Amino acid sequence: MRTRNLLVAFLLGAAIAAGLTLALRMSGEQAAPLRATVVPAGDALPAFNLLGHDDTAVDGAVFEGQWDLVFFGFTHCPDICPTTLHTLAQVRKQLAEQGQNPLPRIVLVSVDPERDTPEIMSKYMSAFGDGNLGITGDLEEVSKLTDALGIYFARAPAADGDYSIDHSTVVLVINPQGRFRALFSAPHRVEDFVHDLPLIMGMP
Amino acid sequence: MIRQFALFAFVLALGACSAPNGPPVLATNIVVTAAASDMPMAAGYLDITNHSGTSIHITNVTSPDYASVEMHETTITDGVARMRAIPALEIEDGESVTFERGGKHLMLMRPLDTPEIVTLNFYSGDVLLLSVSTEFKAMTD
Repeated sequence: MRTRNLLVAFLLGAAIAAGLTLALRMSGEQAAPLRATVVPAGDALPAFNLLGHDDTAVDGAVFEGQWDLVFFGFTHCPDICPTTLHTLAQVRKQLAEQGQNPLPRIVLVSVDPERDTPEIMSKYMSAFGDGNLGITGDLEEVSKLTDALGIYFARAPAADGDYSIDHSTVVLVINPQGRFRALFSAPHRVEDFVHDLPLIMGMP
Repeated sequence: MIRQFALFAFVLALGACSAPNGPPVLATNIVVTAAASDMPMAAGYLDITNHSGTSIHITNVTSPDYASVEMHETTITDGVARMRAIPALEIEDGESVTFERGGKHLMLMRPLDTPEIVTLNFYSGDVLLLSVSTEFKAMTD
């Protein structure tokens, strides 16, 4: 009897110790520093009316139903914009290889709607994979979105009447309820997104 | 797989000062890329090393494959990316300059076709300093 009690006590102690170890490990993972900045409650997006790259009208509902990685840029940007979108495409690829499901969608909102027609946006976004979304449209409507989200952009004159656009480099994470949930600041590294996104997408 | 084509670098005006071994101005790690070859903009990245024995000034870059090429630099300050033209670039003898993502780069504007091979010519005034050719690489290849 005593031997059996000792055995039960030993097993119970071992189980508690294992549980504590596991809990500590799990809490350690949860406490791993995030590269992203998380918005605790998730901010609602403002109302807007823009165009998707398929030339159909889109409003705030376009961000509902899936996780989105949203970048504000323009197709005449040769350096930062395609590099960032390529990074996000690599993030999606690595998350898919890790079995992440669902995968976040990549969204480019043009801050140069004068040149970025839906047709150009469609062609541009398809270069970075399937299922991406390009959004363009009226500049005032774009500004509704950027103003509410703290995204800066401004036209910068260049030679021969040409222009570039100075713009914020953050990537926003929008949750399936269409709420701004987190942001990644530049420089953008694939490993930061791959580390953080499963955690962010697991948050209530 | 990047196939980088014969890189022919030569200095016309600086020939008398050239290094005893190898080309006086050398380009390496050359990449010309965009989302797709027929997009209105592409970027060029490379390292240029000056072994000519004197400083060189790159004042303009041309390409038979694009209507216009400019040297630009991206800077990110307080989370905002700004891209500005570089009017001229000096490289001291023995020094290198790197054109890289998020920094100095070539902006290639308005492709004249859908180039598979892109040639870039670097000038100091009217003097051709360097001519390189490389395969166009779509960003997602």
